[in-house]
Amino acid sequence: MNERLPIAEVWVYLSGSPLFALILTLATYQLGYTLYVRANRNPVVNPVAISVLLATFCIYAIDMPYDKYFEGAQFVHFLLGTATVALAVPIYRGCRSLRTKLVPMTFALLIGSAVSIGSAVGIASMLGAGENIVGSMYAKSVTAPIAMGIAERIQVSPTLTAVFTVITGMLGAILAPFIMNFLRIGPWWIRGTAIGVGAHGLGTTRAFSVNEEAGTYASMAMGLNGVMSAVLLPMVVNYLRT
Amino acid sequence: MIDGLVQLFIWQGLGELVSKFLLPNIPGPVLGLLFLLAYLIIKDEVSPSLGLVADSFRQHLGLLFVPASVGVILFLPDLKTHALAVTVALVSSVVLTIAATALVLKLFAKEARDE
Repeated sequence: MNERLPIAEVWVYLSGSPLFALILTLATYQLGYTLYVRANRNPVVNPVAISVLLATFCIYAIDMPYDKYFEGAQFVHFLLGTATVALAVPIYRGCRSLRTKLVPMTFALLIGSAVSIGSAVGIASMLGAGENIVGSMYAKSVTAPIAMGIAERIQVSPTLTAVFTVITGMLGAILAPFIMNFLRIGPWWIRGTAIGVGAHGLGTTRAFSVNEEAGTYASMAMGLNGVMSAVLLPMVVNYLRT
Repeated sequence: MIDGLVQLFIWQGLGELVSKFLLPNIPGPVLGLLFLLAYLIIKDEVSPSLGLVADSFRQHLGLLFVPASVGVILFLPDLKTHALAVTVALVSSVVLTIAATALVLKLFAKEARDE
């Protein structure tokens, strides 16, 4: 009996420190990422989805409250803002080619994000999803770090927004090639832009793995869409609510 | 690599300050992004260190939203009740968004060729 005691103590100590949540977050992501690379970067094997599922299952199994988990995981969460600032780099890299395509890109971004918001919010509310869920549909096509900032400003759940964003990214990365082929879209810059608007970060990763030009356009479209939505979405939502 | 990271933190900090005191509607990090973009355009180059940090962030952007997504545990009952609505809304929205964006650009590209 005495032998088990130290282990229990170690456990109590560890689960009380922020280190446990941090390890859980990073290790599950690492596992997910390894599987993703092994699967030839197939978008179905998404590292974020794997990490979220495993981490959620673990804290559920050991009965750890979410607040407690977040105390440790917040160190990772904090870097979201920094990652957002870093998006300036891909936008800058794409800037040169943007000069000649400014008008089409502006239209595509505006129409793309209007369709994204209109269809998601419209369908979800038509099918009777609750207010929480419908509200969290607004920012779901925007890259997650910006989406969560927007969610806070329009007073909807950043968590649900993040979850919908991840699912959208996965779906987009999986479905985009079929949609493009069906519509007979050839040029890489168009394919890249469309996937960047519709499926943000995960779509961009996919685009980079297929074609460099598509990837550059995808990350630029993702960044511009994020900036535009951050400025316009709160105004649109406030207008709709009054 | 460290000086790239320091640069990002400084731009982020500046963005947070401006957001807090001047433009409360726009999130601080987005303002930081715009400041950094303006700086890069003026300087007309990305330092290797900043490029390295930015690329690592882009590659593992997903890791950063794991903590928030785990919060889904708090919404499971709500999501279960509305599973159909959520699925239909997300799938159709992503298909329509990608298709609409691509078609708009295709239309423009075609016009440019016809002229």
